[in-house]
Amino acid sequence: MTQYNEQTMMNIRTELGSFPSPVQSNFDRARDALTGRLADDKLDDWAQLGLLISKRTVRSWEAGAELFNASPMVQRQLPAGQFISWVKIGDQLCTASPSLAVAYFRASPGAIQRLRPRYISDWAQSCRALYRGTWKSSALACKLFEATPKLLESLSFDELRRFAEFLEEVSHRSYDMAGDALETGGELFPKLGRDAGAFIGLSNTVAKNSWRHVQPMFDAAQHSLVEMPREQRSSFISLVNRLSTKEGVDPSRVMRDGARAIGGVGHEWRDTLIDLTHRIAAEGSAEASSAFLTTGPRVLERVTFPQLIEWHSRGMQVMVEKESAAEAYFKNESVLSHEVLDALSSSVELDRVREIIRMYCRMLAGQEIEVQAAQQLVDKNIGWFQGELPTTEGTTIYLPKVINRHPSKDRNFAFYKVISTHQTGHIEFGSFRFSFERPSTMFTDLRSQLNSANGSALEAVPSEIEEKPQAETTSSTNGAVEKEGQDEHASIPMSRFFDLFPDRKLGNDVFTIFESTRVDSKVMDAYRGLAVSFKSVQDDALSSRPDITELPAREALVEFMIRISLGQSTDLVAPKRHMEVARKLRRLVRLMQREDALVEDAAEATIRACAWLTEVRNEELNEDEFEDLDDDEEEDEQEGDGEEEQDLQGLIQAFIESMQPGEGTGEDQESAEDSEDMEDGEDQDYSSPQEIDYRGEFKPELSQLLSQAQMQMMEGGEFADDDMGEMTPLTQEQLQEMMKNSADIDIQEGQDGEEMSPELAEMLENLLKEMQRRDPQAQSQPSGPMQHVDEEGGPLTPTSPDQHVYDEWDFRANEYRPRWCMVHEKEMSSGDVSFYRDTLVERASLLTMIKKQFELVMPEMYRKQKRLEDGEELDFDPMLEAVIDLRVGSTPDEKIYWRRNKTERSVAVAFLLDMSASTAEAIEEAKRPNDDWGAPDDPVEYMVWLRSRRTEGLRKSYKRIVDVEKEGVVLLINALETLGDDYGIYGFSGYGRENVEFYVIKDLDEKFTDEIPRRIDRIAPLHATRMGPSIRHATQKLANQDSRSRFLFLISDGRPQDRGYSREGVEKEYAVHDTRMALMEARREGIVPFCLTVDKQGHDYLKVMMDDFNYEVLPDVSLLPQRLLMLYKRLTT
Amino acid sequence: MATEQLYNQTIIEEYVLTEEPYYLPLADEIEIFEAAYHQRVPVLLKGPTGTGKTRFVEHMSWRLGEELTVAKPSAKVDTSANGRAESMPLVTVACHEDLTASDLIGRYLLDRDGTRWQDGPLTRAVKSGGICYLDEVVEARKDTTVIIHPLTDHRRTLTIDKLGLVIDAAEGFLLVVSYNPGYQNAVKDLKHSTRQRFVALEFDFPDEEHEATIIAHEADCDEESAGLLAALGGKIRNLREHGLEEGASTRVLIYAAKLINEGISPRRACQVAVTWGITDDAQVQRSIDEVVSSIFP
Repeated sequence: MTQYNEQTMMNIRTELGSFPSPVQSNFDRARDALTGRLADDKLDDWAQLGLLISKRTVRSWEAGAELFNASPMVQRQLPAGQFISWVKIGDQLCTASPSLAVAYFRASPGAIQRLRPRYISDWAQSCRALYRGTWKSSALACKLFEATPKLLESLSFDELRRFAEFLEEVSHRSYDMAGDALETGGELFPKLGRDAGAFIGLSNTVAKNSWRHVQPMFDAAQHSLVEMPREQRSSFISLVNRLSTKEGVDPSRVMRDGARAIGGVGHEWRDTLIDLTHRIAAEGSAEASSAFLTTGPRVLERVTFPQLIEWHSRGMQVMVEKESAAEAYFKNESVLSHEVLDALSSSVELDRVREIIRMYCRMLAGQEIEVQAAQQLVDKNIGWFQGELPTTEGTTIYLPKVINRHPSKDRNFAFYKVISTHQTGHIEFGSFRFSFERPSTMFTDLRSQLNSANGSALEAVPSEIEEKPQAETTSSTNGAVEKEGQDEHASIPMSRFFDLFPDRKLGNDVFTIFESTRVDSKVMDAYRGLAVSFKSVQDDALSSRPDITELPAREALVEFMIRISLGQSTDLVAPKRHMEVARKLRRLVRLMQREDALVEDAAEATIRACAWLTEVRNEELNEDEFEDLDDDEEEDEQEGDGEEEQDLQGLIQAFIESMQPGEGTGEDQESAEDSEDMEDGEDQDYSSPQEIDYRGEFKPELSQLLSQAQMQMMEGGEFADDDMGEMTPLTQEQLQEMMKNSADIDIQEGQDGEEMSPELAEMLENLLKEMQRRDPQAQSQPSGPMQHVDEEGGPLTPTSPDQHVYDEWDFRANEYRPRWCMVHEKEMSSGDVSFYRDTLVERASLLTMIKKQFELVMPEMYRKQKRLEDGEELDFDPMLEAVIDLRVGSTPDEKIYWRRNKTERSVAVAFLLDMSASTAEAIEEAKRPNDDWGAPDDPVEYMVWLRSRRTEGLRKSYKRIVDVEKEGVVLLINALETLGDDYGIYGFSGYGRENVEFYVIKDLDEKFTDEIPRRIDRIAPLHATRMGPSIRHATQKLANQDSRSRFLFLISDGRPQDRGYSREGVEKEYAVHDTRMALMEARREGIVPFCLTVDKQGHDYLKVMMDDFNYEVLPDVSLLPQRLLMLYKRLTT
Repeated sequence: MATEQLYNQTIIEEYVLTEEPYYLPLADEIEIFEAAYHQRVPVLLKGPTGTGKTRFVEHMSWRLGEELTVAKPSAKVDTSANGRAESMPLVTVACHEDLTASDLIGRYLLDRDGTRWQDGPLTRAVKSGGICYLDEVVEARKDTTVIIHPLTDHRRTLTIDKLGLVIDAAEGFLLVVSYNPGYQNAVKDLKHSTRQRFVALEFDFPDEEHEATIIAHEADCDEESAGLLAALGGKIRNLREHGLEEGASTRVLIYAAKLINEGISPRRACQVAVTWGITDDAQVQRSIDEVVSSIFP
């Protein structure tokens, strides 16, 4: 180093001394490092530049410090000339902003390792481009500088530059967003590997087209792109890129859906899937292609990939014709799409065939049967857990959502048919009508004997067991009963039966086999047309059974029974040691296939089978310990009842023994030599056999519990004599007790059964609710008296035009109370339109059907009208009659013309909807008895009471009666618009005589506008039901109409009631009679009233109220919309 | 009549049945009807279509005719040449919505010379003393009910206002009407003043066993098919009011049986005779078809 240089350096150093200390110290270190590695003049330049930079502005000393800090490392990587340019670039940056220079210098050592020297300037430029003189922009630029070393690990410089361009683009909109993108990019690019460039390209596109989507897209990329298989990634990115250039496409959604779609298909189809999407995009519709990606996976649930291609190509044809149609198609929202899919797919969806199956089952069972997806029952959480298996709880058949077992639709549907027939079979052939006392036809009844024997386990077995014991009520001295500590009648027969078994699980499994066998064979017998499908389903089931020889002994025997029950008759193996038991079991199973078998026979068979099975140790067996069972059916048959009779004594004995505490799986009582034989075999805990898919879940106890209510109702007297008759509703405790024992519910409880697990507790609660819902007694509470209030005060006077005063009929005084009620007419406020839309979508099929029917009414409007005094032409018959009359000499009728009359249909109808508080009842919820009538007298309290009831109703997510009313109204409106009738829709409620609220949802003269659906939304349960004044007011409205026929539809959920809508001693009748009088007044005006009610108790008071008016009581609330329309059509045509 | 008789025609009040119409009693309806007839109490037959109302009336007219023939050979009911029993005269009028009172009573007709009075079917039945059966009486125009009233109480008279006559019903005359209550609240309903002039016999579909017997007899088919058809009928009727206005009548089951007799496959026979006949709703048709295919192999 020359002297001169030395001097210069010293000067510079001194000058640098005026800055904070790091500058000078960094300079010192750098100079030491550089001296000798850099020519003097260059070193000089470097030092000069450094000083210059440091002096540029107030804060630029920081840049200087960084420069000096970075210099040694940078110099090592750069030729001298470029090293100086590097410093100069820094200087330029510093002129713009010292912080840029700081970031630049700081990032340089790392960056330059991966950057060609000639790109340094470009790099700085790219970063600098982000800087626009603001603090935020400088922060962003700095961030980019800082990130560069890391970014360059996964990006080429060119990519980096494009990324910077992208950031710049975004930064025009939001620096924050750009900053986030930069950060996310840093994490993302390494994961994307060589596709990072493509992704940056995409980012640029998105930033240019729809910058708002940048952020979500980056977020989406972090999951979707990263997880996507590498092979498809680049082509997928280019697809997203392509779509992102289009208007209205959300790249993040495309990315997510696309990734899901691609991830969902087999790897061999992934490229094809992207290609298919590309093809849609090529035709120009971005919406359609992104829809395709979204819909794809769902479509693939139903069809195979080649079929998807087919579906796609049909869509492409649609595209050629009309782009918007293609969008709907690829969203799978068009009819064509559904049709194509339907034709392609071999799977059958429950939703599509539900109605058919429902009617089918209904016809078979002869009672109301619902069909639902099995998942719904599981969701209720009342003891069923398998969403994929068919089952029933006595009133509803639950089926899997979709069947895709076979390559053809027909066979899949046949499977549906088989499983629903089997489930219906349980209902049709009385599985749930099991009675503890009803004697079986094939066996000596052991149930009652065991019942008493259990109580006194060690008491001698009754000696005359051949005598069929009569259905004696087990005495209350019975130990078992006392032990359980509950009223025996509170238990259901099925539970009483299972109580007999020491091992409930085994009992339940065996009973299930017997009962299903019985039902199967009954079904096959009654429905021979189904036999082929049924047999093939059984064969399928058989082929998927586990190998008997791999099961421990007891389970092997159970499996053995299942196989027989499924119709296997050859190659049956059973444990050698238990051949005799196997043979006896086979006989029992076959007995179940006899025509006269009853559910009680299945029960008796279960007792026997379980007695034998408990004696079999559940030990692991070697394959050679099994052997074929000889196929000696003949002999089986002959064995007959004789053998059984001898056996009975032993059976009961065995059973009683197994009831003793401490008795496990045959430890003590079994003969000593047996135990010796079995030293090798470890006893296994018994576990239930693998379920049979077509038979599904069978839960006799729960089902009987749930269906008992209905059965009582349906069968009336039959069960009154039986043990069902005295059933009282179970309390939670009793239910709990029952469920704890029940093998239907397989929940692990707390250790000693004292503590209920929360799951079980919740389930119990649900179950209890479900039962209440079903209990007809609870639903049809006798309407108690509304608290009587003798109303004081006289006639009312309206004070504003929307108030109307009406008389009220006092049937005891036999005269009107003048101006007694004040009706406040209000326009319903507007709500949301979505209820209307949703209903139309949900009930689309019903609506089309109804519209079709209503359209059929139209031609009748042009019917020939005969016997007119004036018309188009002479009507031949009356004309002839007139001529004859003239000849005979009597006065002829002048009505001898006919004409086609267009205006013949002239109907005005007013619908009056009950908006009383009780319509808040969920239709699936029990009505609590007498709750309605616990209404307090005091107006204030009454309001509080009502409000509490209301909120109760609102809280429930269930469908309420009022919702069904609303649905009905929506459909009605649509249908009525078809007909062109004049119609008005009104809601009524109120509280007290001076406060009858009358809500106008659509007035008679009003045209249908968008406002109406909004008003419908607002229909909600309010207060009480004072029908009379509302009817009078509606009558008034109708009376002003000049239509030929006028109708008044009253839709209510119960008897009229309101505070003071009564007179002492005759509470209910007062309201009923006033309503009746109001209806008569309507009729006097020439209006036809009709009352539709969902109150099952309705018949009694309606008979009085409606006497010779027309009315209908709906058995099921949910039928309301449908029925309403049918009735309307019937009444008005 | 001078002209050659080309086809079988009978003057309405002389229309009699010469063979016993098949009727399988399900309860005591025969005794009731006989008792009612003996006391000349008009009878109202209620029930859905195809439950055998018309057949029952035919059967009764034959049966009562036979009774008369046997018990009172001198009565006005003819005993035909070969001594075989014949029914009482049976005048059946199917009512429709344009049926007016004069369609029942009679009217003046024009002819060459002027006008001529022509008795209506009811008048002729009243005069001749047979059973007049008004089928689906609710369908008729309301003015017809007015002429029914005096015929159905103690008066037993028919007023013909155009002629200014009151006719006393002949000894053997009995008015029998039928109607299908269909739906409990249907607007079309008999007025109380009308319906309370009759003793009412309720008809419903027979139980499976009886129905099988009826089908087997009527279609002359084998027991098995008859049994299956009867079972099918029962199943379909479960859908009444839940998709079907009315269940499959015994009549359509008999038709199906007849087709099966002719060699049509049972499933197809049921489809054309039963399913398609009773409903137009595609879904209901499909579900009935499914039941058919379950029952018939």
